[in-house]
Amino acid sequence: MRAQQADSGDSALYASHQKIYPREVSGRFTRLRVTAILTLLGIYYLTPFLQWGGRQAILFDLPARKFHLFGLTLWPQDFIYLAALLILAGLSLFFFTALLGRVWCGYACPQTVWTEAYLWMERKIEGKRSARMKLDKAPTSAEKIRIKILKHTVWITFSLWTGFTFVGYFTPIDQLAGKLFSASLGPWETFWILFYSFATYGNAGFMREQVCKYMCPYARFQSAMFDSDTLIVAYHPERGEPRGSRRRGTDFEAQGLGACIDCNVCVQVCPTGIDIRDGLQYECIACSACIDACDEIMDKMSYPRGLIKYTTENAAEGKPQHILRPRVMVYATILLVLCGILVTHLVQRIPLELDVIRDRNTLYRETRDGLIENVYTLKLLNMDEKPHRYILHAEGIDGLKLVTDQEEIFVEAGTVYQMVVRLQADEFNLEQRSVPVSFHLQAADANHLTITEEARFVGPGKT
Amino acid sequence: MSAVIPQKIPRIQQAISVLWPSFIVAIIATGIFFSAFNPRDLVPYNLDVDISPVAAYSIGFFIFWIIALVSSYGTLYFTISNCRYLNKQYK
Repeated sequence: MRAQQADSGDSALYASHQKIYPREVSGRFTRLRVTAILTLLGIYYLTPFLQWGGRQAILFDLPARKFHLFGLTLWPQDFIYLAALLILAGLSLFFFTALLGRVWCGYACPQTVWTEAYLWMERKIEGKRSARMKLDKAPTSAEKIRIKILKHTVWITFSLWTGFTFVGYFTPIDQLAGKLFSASLGPWETFWILFYSFATYGNAGFMREQVCKYMCPYARFQSAMFDSDTLIVAYHPERGEPRGSRRRGTDFEAQGLGACIDCNVCVQVCPTGIDIRDGLQYECIACSACIDACDEIMDKMSYPRGLIKYTTENAAEGKPQHILRPRVMVYATILLVLCGILVTHLVQRIPLELDVIRDRNTLYRETRDGLIENVYTLKLLNMDEKPHRYILHAEGIDGLKLVTDQEEIFVEAGTVYQMVVRLQADEFNLEQRSVPVSFHLQAADANHLTITEEARFVGPGKT
Repeated sequence: MSAVIPQKIPRIQQAISVLWPSFIVAIIATGIFFSAFNPRDLVPYNLDVDISPVAAYSIGFFIFWIIALVSSYGTLYFTISNCRYLNKQYK
């Protein structure tokens, strides 16, 4: 019954959205959240300026088709590593959700982080909750226009900086800054800076909690990771109800009241505009603002803290709690195994690739010495950070001869070298029309850099 | 029976349900497509087209977005027309 009511109330709210004015809050969890937000914003805005070995430490260099992550350079061939990283990120989210509930939503999600940042700016310019509500209701005046213009100017400036930083992950940010100051930004760079700025401005300035409620896929399926031992923010109805106002210092139990003084502060601080006293709701992003707000009220009333607190369903019902339970163990095991596989593969990854393309125009030809000859185009990819010299061998047929004009092949760091080679074999040694051969590439200066690539050698066949 | 009748979806939610999933799909598709193909190799030899890689990736992204958008819009269209039909039935 309650769920149905909540549902209809929800859609009504969405149909004609009511702006939420979260009230300012302070306390231990707020301090923790602000610390997390400042740290994450710092990481986002400063990372592009980090240098590593003479280049930007983290750079998704699209024109060169290379992703630099500190000492690691990923090529398009390494797409699988990025996919694995994303899967790992997803699994970690599952793991932390099972254990700590929506800690991601409340403390780390970019939507929360930037919304809080924009709210902070709004608060500095427009004032506290009541002042903001009053300002929005007030008729248009010069003062109102001045305040609104100031707020949007600050927001847009911050958005543009955000968009600029975002593009700085794809174009070296020092070059980007240079282009910006000399007004020579490319059309697409300009476009993406504006696109990302606009998205930030819209999401953090206007959409806010609606993104969580209506656009976020995680908000919809996170409950699947929940169990009775997952950390949640919850109101303690046995202690709080029946709620009601009372005078300070009076014996509320004698008046038949619970500990909740029905001050509504927990509702006013909520960034998604819900009442935590209605129980666990999917709109709750577990930001814990209501915990801090309620604790402050409890302190004022000289009641014990914790009417709203971090708890688990089992703890609230006085049942035994389990931190290590099958669900958590399964997520942790999968996470660790995948991590292990990824790290092993990254450590063993050979930054060298060889592509062999057989000449398609002629199947084979006969040399003056009566040997059968095939022509191949080889592409050598040196994906290492250093240049290398390579030695090429071919095998698979008795007396197979590799004809090339280079003893050692020199390939610059991070480049592709293309060359044409010929293989020659005696017809007597060819068992079939098409014989498998293998090219073997070995770095002259590093033993572990070695790769073998299969190809086919075509001849007239036995007659 | 009330659960069977879908509610009218607000316009903003309609727009989001078309634009947003297709946006995510377009990012994934662009990532997969361009890790397999270098835009430089996609230009036919006889054409002298000079566009920057970033432009190629951006245009590729928008093409994927439009394709996914059409699909998302199709889903929305069929949902809505179905829902209107149902609403008429129950009026």
